[in-house]
Amino acid sequence: MKIGFFGKLRDSLGDECDVAVEEGETVARLRRRLARLHPEAAADLLGPRVRACVADTIVGDDFVIGGHERVEFLPPLSGG
Amino acid sequence: MSVRLADEPIVAERELAEFVGGLSGEGAVASFLGLARDRTADGERVERLFLDHHPRLTLRSMEEIAAAALERFGISSLRIVHRRGAVASGEAIVLVAAAAVHRRAAFEAVDYMMDRLKTDSVFWKREEGPGGPHWIEPRDEDYSAAERWSGRSCPE
Repeated sequence: MKIGFFGKLRDSLGDECDVAVEEGETVARLRRRLARLHPEAAADLLGPRVRACVADTIVGDDFVIGGHERVEFLPPLSGG
Repeated sequence: MSVRLADEPIVAERELAEFVGGLSGEGAVASFLGLARDRTADGERVERLFLDHHPRLTLRSMEEIAAAALERFGISSLRIVHRRGAVASGEAIVLVAAAAVHRRAAFEAVDYMMDRLKTDSVFWKREEGPGGPHWIEPRDEDYSAAERWSGRSCPE
């Protein structure tokens, strides 16, 4: 599965990465796995201000990501 | 309604001329041009802004704001042009224009769209200067500016 990053997360983690997703994996679990892989971004990845987005829709931490091609993590918006 | 993202500098005169050229009898056009400041909120020098955007959600968020303005105010036409990518200090980041039969609706629609764009449009802004890069988030006054439109009735 592709994981996409924006804003400050893109600076620290790159545009996107590939992660093998386990069956039934939730956004919360993915956050924890990514935080272990990237401790420099752990505070953001585990914090409530960074939102997960699947198929252009914001999803909660209990959302099951299996079956989707891509999850994106969006930091707080700066606005225009 | 014309809403778009721009990779190149916004030429305000051309945008406004095109916008006015497409009107049909309205008596008022109000516009706003937002420029990239050369100082941070703390007074440090900024050489350029970088506006990160989402390939679909950013334009969608701008279109939703435009549609809300069209529905809420008595305007007949509007234009939003917003830069993405690198923007040098002093360059325009955003141009917003609205046309109406009378001026009040055009003024209010532009004010409304800018307040909403400052908080609800999907951008991530990084200030870059001698002090290094710094990602910025909406200020409290941006939120309160957007909230002041909540519950207000439409102008006559």
